[in-house]
Formats: sequence, C-alpha cells, structure tokens
Amino acid sequence: MALEITVEEAAASVPTSVVALTGELDASNFTELIETGRRLHAAGTRRIVLDLAGLTFLASSGLVALHSLIRILRGEAPPDPEEGWGALHSLEFDVSGGNAQSEVVLVAPQPPVDRVLERTGLKRLFRVHQDRAAGIADV
Amino acid sequence: MRRASPTSDPDAFLTAERLEPLLAPLAALGPAVGLAVEDAAGRVVAGVGPATLGAVEPALAVPIGPSEVPIGRVVVVGAIASPQRAAIEAAAGVLAAAIAGLVDTRVRDQVDRTRIEAELALGRRLQRSFVPLVAPEVPGWAVASHYEPAREVGGDFFDAFRPRARPRELAVVIADVTGKGIAAALLMAFARPLIHAAIDHARRPAVALERTNRILVEERRAALFITALCVYIDTRSGRFVVANAGHEPPLVLRVDGRLEEVDSSGPLLGAFPRIGLEERSGVLEPGDLLFLYTDGVTDARAPDGSRFGDVRLRSLVVGAADATARELVAAVAAGSRGFQSGEPAADDLTLVAVRRLPAG
Repeated sequence: MALEITVEEAAASVPTSVVALTGELDASNFTELIETGRRLHAAGTRRIVLDLAGLTFLASSGLVALHSLIRILRGEAPPDPEEGWGALHSLEFDVSGGNAQSEVVLVAPQPPVDRVLERTGLKRLFRVHQDRAAGIADV
Repeated sequence: MRRASPTSDPDAFLTAERLEPLLAPLAALGPAVGLAVEDAAGRVVAGVGPATLGAVEPALAVPIGPSEVPIGRVVVVGAIASPQRAAIEAAAGVLAAAIAGLVDTRVRDQVDRTRIEAELALGRRLQRSFVPLVAPEVPGWAVASHYEPAREVGGDFFDAFRPRARPRELAVVIADVTGKGIAAALLMAFARPLIHAAIDHARRPAVALERTNRILVEERRAALFITALCVYIDTRSGRFVVANAGHEPPLVLRVDGRLEEVDSSGPLLGAFPRIGLEERSGVLEPGDLLFLYTDGVTDARAPDGSRFGDVRLRSLVVGAADATARELVAAVAAGSRGFQSGEPAADDLTLVAVRRLPAG
C-alpha cells in the first residue's frame, strides 16, 4: 500500500497546514513527506498538524521524515537523506533536551504507529492529540 | 559546539583537535595498525596507533578532497592482514571523504553524477566490508548471522565479539541506521567501530550505548538516527543483559520450543542528549537460542502489499526450533525472500542467532 499525503490549510494564529497521511510511511516514500514539508514551508507554513488517523504503518525511515519536518519548519534545511556527504556537515544541534516542540503536532496515531513512536522514544518530541480540531487549537 | 560552520580554509581546519574525535573510533582496527591524517605538505596532523606514523612508508594512502588538488591524505601503516584490508581501505576512504566534506562545502557543490555513482558504489562496498570478518569462536556457543543489503544502500550492521579483557563474555550488537542511501551507510561506518570500542570499555551494555549516543549527539554526525540492541552474555553461566535503544526487542527460543520476547525499549541513538536506558536480563539455558533482527525482515513486503510482520517471523523461528543456529537464520532469510517473491528488498535485512549448545 502506498502513501497518500493530503494537505489542507487551517485557520490559526500561526500559519498552519493540516497534513493527513493515509497508508504506510516507509523507506520507499519517506522523502515524499520531507518534500511536502519543504514545499509548505516555502509557501509560508510554520506549523503542521500531522493527522495520522489513516496511517497504518510507520517504518524507522519514517521517523527521519517526522524529525525532518520539525527542522524544516524551524527554517533549518535538513540534509537530504539521499544526498550523501551533505548530511555530515550541514548540522547543528536540533533537539533541545527532548522537550516537546510545537512546530509539528500529531493527531490520532493508531496502535501500530504509536508502538513505533513509543519504542524509539521519539514520541516525547511531539504533542499528541486525539482529534484534528484539538491539534489545530494547540498553538 | 566546537565549531560554528565549516571553514573554507583547509589548512586551518586540519587540526589535531578536530581530527582526533574522528580517528578515535578507528583505534578499534587493532593495535598493529596505525592511521593518520596528513596535510598537503605531508605533515602528520593527527593519528591513532603505532608511533611509527609518518616515519615509515604507508601500507595504503587515500587522498582527501578533489584528486586534482588534494588537501591532504589519510595514511595507514602497519601489517594489515589481507582479510582486513578491504575494511580498512573502505574506512580510510570514508574518513577522507568525510574530512573533505567537512573542510569545504565546495566539495559537495561540485559533486556531479559520476561522483554520486561512485559514492553509492563505495557505500555498498563499505557495507559489505563492515560485516564481521570472522564469527567469534566461543566453546559451547554457536553464533550465526545473515546480512542482505537492500537495492539501495541501507545502514544495518551487527557485530559479535569477546570484549577486550572480559574473556568470559560475548557481546552481540545489531543496529539499523534509519533512512537509506549513502548517508545511512556512512553513519553505519562511523558508528560500528564506535559501538565496538564503547563495548570494550563498558561493563554494562546500557553504558556502552549511552556513551555511543553521547558521541553521536555531541559530534552530531548525521541527520539520521540509529536503533541499536546490545547484549552481553556470560558464556559460563548463560546469563545475558540487554540494553535496547529503539530497536526491535530480541526473542529467546527455549529448548522446549517456547518463544519469549525480551521486553525492552528505550530511545534510539542520536536524537536525545541523554537516553537513560534500562537493562533487562535473563538466562540462556543449554539449548536456548537468542534471536536478533532488524525491521528489514518484519517490514518486508509481498507484491500484494502485505507485510511479513511479527507473526510470520515468530512462526518461522519456532518452526526451526530443532535446527542449528545457522539453519534457523537461513530458514528465516529464505522465508523473507520467498515472501517478497523475488522483488528487490526495500530495506537491509540482518539476522543474528546465538545458541547455547546443549550440554555434553
């Protein structure tokens, strides 16, 4: 099953886009999500509400995409994971002590996805809401 | 942070202070092998290993930077056993490329298609060369592994060895760099000797992974993360201790055919300054088998889109209960390959099985 990415604008005090993922996020498509993040940031988005209600599978590569979204919205150009050497020298510290950030909030992660976020400790990076409206309101 | 941005002055960059952290993990190459970075004038700027560095003809040398105008070179001295040569050559190549990339962003900007292809080829070669060269010989124990690289370079690695000065112990580590491509392969090449050295110097697996994490975070080697599972086994008593940094938990196949999961989890490496891993322990009785794997097996996809998953994996492992460690690993690998109906794998696949041989 492929990954479908749909984007909607949302009314909030910070320019916000709702990005809904349907299907599976894995090594074959995680760069598409990064690319979507880049495009949205270039168009003015500063906050993404990531709706995971339709995401049935999250591979470890997908974690890189989630992490990259935060960096993109902070205006840090994340290295392109496929670019090569670039990754070695374009980095600064990004995650400050593991505190939840506000650039990307998650909505409705399903059990298989939630398990991966828990297992890898990345869940602590995100504020998580059960529905989209709560995610949009959490500025 | 030691440094705000890459400098454009290569001479100012090639300093011992900057290079030593890069070189330190390569000390794991062995006491007989030395490795040094020379600047364009042939002066040794930093090195690890024997004091003969700079005084004798190198066993191999790799230029740093564009081959027309190298800014220095990585040299290796010492007696290199031929099975080691490929791995050491690959390590020197990666080191040279990493230094070149750090020194001057122009190196990256000038990358053309041919170069990218060459990098990918290097990445694949690297991956193969970093697979352990020899399985450790441990009386009463059998260690078997399987490694299968993906179509595009991934970043799996594993290692199994007796830690320095702890002859009763067997250390096993399996890890997966998230993402793929040359960045993943490079991070793997950097992290594997780092974890190896950390295990040599840490009496507890959680400490070894925490040290590795600290270096990854402080040095900020990459945009990628690493999931890693580290197990120390006391080869006399069978007691084992597991530390898990975001990796799939290991399985234990008991001699009577029961399958248990070693419930363990923790933050992956490279994302957080402190990860506070908790250890889990257990005992492998004679005949029991410890099974480690990367998500390349469970995430493998059939042409109809379904995933191999935990259930299939576990039934294959249980079904091979009477097999040797080697046969079990081969059965799981074949099962995964058959499931994908010959489609090229999207992710690396790594399996490791450690069995405590039945007494007698």
